[in-house]
Amino acid sequence: MAVALSETELTGDRRSAIIDLLYRLADDSLIIGHRESEWTGLGPILEEDIAFSSMAQDKMGHALAFYTLLHELAEPNPNQLAFLRSASEFRCCAFVALESFADGQQSPPESLFNNPVRDRLVSQGDWALSCTRQFLFSEADAVRMAALETSSYEPLAQLARKFRGELKYHTMHGRMLIERLGAATEESRRRMSASVDTLFPYALGMFETTKWDKLLEAEGLAPAECTLCERWLEEVGPRLRAAGLEIPKNAEPVCGGRIGRHPAQLARLVDDIQQVRRLDPAASW
Amino acid sequence: MSDTQWTVYEVFHQQARGEPHVHVGSVHAPDAESGLILAKEQFGRRQACVNMWVVRADAITASAYADADIFQHGTDKSYREAFGYETTRRAREIGDSQEI
Repeated sequence: MAVALSETELTGDRRSAIIDLLYRLADDSLIIGHRESEWTGLGPILEEDIAFSSMAQDKMGHALAFYTLLHELAEPNPNQLAFLRSASEFRCCAFVALESFADGQQSPPESLFNNPVRDRLVSQGDWALSCTRQFLFSEADAVRMAALETSSYEPLAQLARKFRGELKYHTMHGRMLIERLGAATEESRRRMSASVDTLFPYALGMFETTKWDKLLEAEGLAPAECTLCERWLEEVGPRLRAAGLEIPKNAEPVCGGRIGRHPAQLARLVDDIQQVRRLDPAASW
Repeated sequence: MSDTQWTVYEVFHQQARGEPHVHVGSVHAPDAESGLILAKEQFGRRQACVNMWVVRADAITASAYADADIFQHGTDKSYREAFGYETTRRAREIGDSQEI
């Protein structure tokens, strides 16, 4: 059996590199999925509300599949990984953890959901920021997973092939938004442009180099992050320009997530997803 | 105030190649291409789907319900109903053997 065979080969640095890679994939998926799900019921139009929620479910599904691979490598089970880790143990990039609020001082939001993020999204949520992130993230996700389809770690290659259709849809959706909102009205152009400026340094941080880069590439497990970043730029650059949006010059990547250094927004998010679990940690689900 | 209501597109969904496209509902969208992308999540996420159509709702010409009586039969015309023929089974047999 292919899975059993590849697991017996997993030792030493190769094993550590795969585990680190899987944590990055899983945590990016869980956190972007959670951020997108925060718009459920609050999206500006019904169709987009449903599309965002549905893509969030796709990403949650991907996270579960990656956590399951980790568990097969003797890491804790998926529930423990999602609900019992502290924020600093996550390996997601800062980009996926960012909250999607408009800048500026605003009055405290009305309490509607017993959830401060969703309360703020009602009055201060920046849909343009979320749309732009969905575009930038899905292009990176598609590039990364396309490369992993030929990973020498067969369980991961199988997942990459399985997710291909969903990821293709995510890119179609993101491109649809960017193409239209980049030039629809003066307001949409201004807000999409501001979102690209805000997000781009964080988006570059998706490709933070890790100490396992060389090994992953040498062993045919995954391409180097800089290679993926170049491929991603080839996808997003022309599409942004066609939509009348410019990539900010000299954007410096915001890194640290891959070694557990996160913005405070991630700690709040992790606190949010774990609050029910904390009410009764021994409960069975 | 400008009209912020998007165009309504009727959505048709095909479960397998060769099957008819069946009307499943409608979406609001700024254009047909976005309509397809949005329709995928509204109607393609639960049941099998290989193909989807969206059609501007205002491109459809509909009969009036007041005229529903034109579809009623005044006399027995059950001879028009094609039950009793075995063409479907025979066609499948031929299709299977010759792989048309």
